[in-house]
Amino acid sequence: MHDAFTIAGREFGSRLFLGTGKYDTFETMRDAVRASGAEIVTVAVRRIDFDQPGEDITSFLPDEVLLLPNTSGCETADEAVRSAKLARAGGLPDWVKLEVIPDPRYLLPDPVETLKAAAALVEEGFTVLPYVLPDPVLAKKLEEVGCATVMPLAAPIGSGRGLKLRDSIRIVIEQAEVPVVVDAGLGAPSHAAESMEMGADAVLVNTAIARADDPVAMAEAFRLSVEAGRKAFLAGVMEEQEATPSSPVGGTV
Amino acid sequence: MTVEVNGREHELDPGETVQSLLARLGLEAGYALVERNGEPVERARYAEVELADRDRLVVARPVAGG
Repeated sequence: MHDAFTIAGREFGSRLFLGTGKYDTFETMRDAVRASGAEIVTVAVRRIDFDQPGEDITSFLPDEVLLLPNTSGCETADEAVRSAKLARAGGLPDWVKLEVIPDPRYLLPDPVETLKAAAALVEEGFTVLPYVLPDPVLAKKLEEVGCATVMPLAAPIGSGRGLKLRDSIRIVIEQAEVPVVVDAGLGAPSHAAESMEMGADAVLVNTAIARADDPVAMAEAFRLSVEAGRKAFLAGVMEEQEATPSSPVGGTV
Repeated sequence: MTVEVNGREHELDPGETVQSLLARLGLEAGYALVERNGEPVERARYAEVELADRDRLVVARPVAGG
């Protein structure tokens, strides 16, 4: 069965997005991207430090993956719009993972500034994928201003705590008419599988893979868990119920 | 003439373009994202945008991030 996953008219075979942060080396990151099967990978945008320019990360990424610039580091809508415009002008795709995070401790996104930036960027012709708390009302408003997805967080960035906001994410999924990508806080493949079983369209993983003892093997584990979770969702996960025997009750020997 | 790139001053010859500055900085390959006096510069125009004295430039690039 063909199970298309489409964002803004573009079809993807993989439902796992990868972040490129926190890998020990670009080589490991490249191998993890390959093992994950990801077709969308995020990058940040930063000023070049001419004393330590380092290497160009994009030269390590497979040509066929879609680079998704984020607006990390931006604390206001204006900063995020500026960052996105700079990335697009410089030749990066006109897709943007919109992050507006004024809070350095919990790294939680600002819903008001995110909505403002999203509306401005859609107006400018961007395909906008906003990173948000799983607030169902906000998610609908983002959809209404033309966002291509919503990306609710499972738990704070880098925390690996899994679906702490499960019930809110469930409502976002139930109401969404754009793809829902669970982003941030997924620490284990089981968290990714559960997200997909709930009906998420995709997940984004970074730290759990990048900081694993073996990131390449963990990338494959997440690939398999996303595929398993998606297949289970389509197959129809059973409702919880009272105990019922699986074997015949009578005729025991 | 003098331009400021990521907060550091550079002496340039008149007639230098965004592209020639990037070449001077060793950034011909890969992505170099350029903002000039607060406005993003389109990559397709790097060769034709001439720099002026006291221009303030930001030069950025994609880096690892989630």
